[in-house]
Amino acid sequence: MPPVADHDGPPGRVVVVGAGLAGVTFCDRLRAGGYGGRLVLIGAEEHLPYDRPPLSKELLQGKTSAAEVLLRPEQWYAGSGIELRLGSSVERVDTAAGAVLLDGGLVEPADVVVLATGGVPRALPVPGAGHPAVQTLRTLADAEQLRDRLTGGCRLGVIGAGLIGAEVTASAVALGCEVTLIDPGERPIEGVVGARVAAALQAQHRDNGVRLVRGTVTTVTTSPGGGVRLEVRGATGDPAGAGDPAGAVECDVAVVGTGIEPELSLAATAGLAVSGGVLVDFAQRTSCPSVFAVGDIARRVGPAGPQRRLEHWDSAQQQGGAAAAGVLGLPLPAERAPWFWSERYGTSLEVVGRFTDAEAVAWRGQPGAGPFSAVGVRAGRCVGAVAVDRPADIGAARRLIDRDRPVEVDVLADESVPLRALLRG
Amino acid sequence: MWQQTPGEAGILVGPVRDIPEGSAVRVPVQGPGLPAAIAVFHDSGEFFAIDDTCTHRNASLADGWAEDGEVECPLHGGRFCLRTGAALEPPPLRPVAVFRVEVRDDSVYVFPGAATSGDTGGAAGG
Repeated sequence: MPPVADHDGPPGRVVVVGAGLAGVTFCDRLRAGGYGGRLVLIGAEEHLPYDRPPLSKELLQGKTSAAEVLLRPEQWYAGSGIELRLGSSVERVDTAAGAVLLDGGLVEPADVVVLATGGVPRALPVPGAGHPAVQTLRTLADAEQLRDRLTGGCRLGVIGAGLIGAEVTASAVALGCEVTLIDPGERPIEGVVGARVAAALQAQHRDNGVRLVRGTVTTVTTSPGGGVRLEVRGATGDPAGAGDPAGAVECDVAVVGTGIEPELSLAATAGLAVSGGVLVDFAQRTSCPSVFAVGDIARRVGPAGPQRRLEHWDSAQQQGGAAAAGVLGLPLPAERAPWFWSERYGTSLEVVGRFTDAEAVAWRGQPGAGPFSAVGVRAGRCVGAVAVDRPADIGAARRLIDRDRPVEVDVLADESVPLRALLRG
Repeated sequence: MWQQTPGEAGILVGPVRDIPEGSAVRVPVQGPGLPAAIAVFHDSGEFFAIDDTCTHRNASLADGWAEDGEVECPLHGGRFCLRTGAALEPPPLRPVAVFRVEVRDDSVYVFPGAATSGDTGGAAGG
C-alpha cells in the first residue's frame, strides 16, 4: 500500500464516484500528473466504463459492439493502479470523516472524493409512461435493448427532438424503421444553433422520410394492434405539410429523449453547495475543499456568477483534466470553448462556443444544401459557430474564440479565405 | 511514381504549392501491413506523414487540425504527435504509424513501405 502523503503534499487516497467519461478521464489525468497514491473508481453499472456517444449512433445501428465502445481496455485499470469497483452504489459521502460509504456497509476512506455521478434521463411525466414499450436511452443496456427492438419495419415514436432524439431517429431510419418524431417546438434546438440551422435540421428529418409531429405527449396507452398509442396535444403536424395533423401516434416502441436530470443527491446529502448543479470553481472544487465534482453534475462559478451547466462529452473530458490538476495543485489546463457534435443521416453537426449570442453571422455555404458553417460574431469577436461537415471551420472558430482574435463578418464570410488563415498575424 | 531505392516506391502526394501550411492530403494506399490511407500534413514549414485513421474511432486525421507538430482528431479532439505518431491526449491511447516523407523538385512524396514508430518523420518544405 502506498504511503499516505504529508499534509501539505498530494492526497494519498482518492475515491472517484462515477465511472463515466469524466471519472475515467480524471483517473487518467491524475496518474499522468504523477499521482502515486491509492485510486479507487466506483461505478454503478456492472459493465466496464464505456463511451456514450456511440450508443445512439454506431451501436444502435449495429455497426459497433459493446466491447468496442469501452473507454479503456480492461487491463488499463490494473496497469494504471486503479481499483475498479463496478456494480457498486454509493450511499453517502462523509466529508467530515473523509469516507465514502458504499451499499453493503463498506467504507472507503478518502482524502479526496471526486463526484462524477452524471445524470438520469427525464421520465415522461404522463399516465401510462411506464409501459414496457416506452424506454429512455442513457446506458449501454438501454441501447442494446433498443437495438434489439428496432427491426426493419418497426414503428418507432421518438419523443423529443433534441440531440439524442434526433440521433435515435436517424439511426432508426437507417435500420429501416418507420419513425415519428414528436416535439413541441417548430425548430428544436433553435436555442443552440439558431432558427435557420434548426429549420434545416428539422427539414433533414422530413427529407429522410420521418413524420414530424408538433406537440406534447399527454397519455400512453396500449394499442389494440400491439405497441402503444401516444396521445399528442397541440399536434398541428408539420408546418410544411408533410406531416399529418394527428392527435395520436401509434408505434411499436417509443423512446423518450427529453434530457437528463443531474444526479445531485450524494452532493446534497454531503452538504455541498448545490444550485442547479454542484457548484464548483475552475479546478472543479466544490464548497468542501476535499470534494471535487466533474461532468454533467458540475456547475462552474465564474467571476460573474454560476455558469450554464454543460452536459457534453468534451466538457466531461475537460473537467476531468481540470479536477486532476486541481487535486495535484498543478496549473489548470487552458479553458476551451464548449464544443459538441451530433451525427444524423451520415452528416456531422458541430457546435462550438455560444452561437446564439451572436449579433451577426458569417455564412459559409447554406444550411440544407450540403456542408456549411456559420460563424457568430459579437463585439468584433467570434462567440460561436455551427457547421455541418466542415470540421476545419469549427477547429478554426474554436481557436478564434479561445485566442480572443478580432474578426470581421465580411472576412469570415469570404470562402476564398480559409478560416484558419485568420488565426495568423 | 518515383523510385527512391529499388523496391521502395514513393507516392507523389502533390506539388508543395498545393499543400499550404496547415493543410493535409489523404493518400489512399494498398498493400500488406499498410493502412487504408496515409495523411500528409504541412505544418510549420515541414511535411509529416502518419496513418490517416485515428486509433480511437476511425476518423480521418487529414480532416483534423494540425499545428505546432501535433494533429487534433476532428471527431473527439484526441491529439497525436506528427513526428512520432505518439498519442498525446486521450481518447486515443495507441500511437499511429508514421511514414517517411520527402520533398524533391518542389513535390512531396510519401514512402508507405517505410512505416516506423520512431522519430523519423518530417521533411522540410517550401
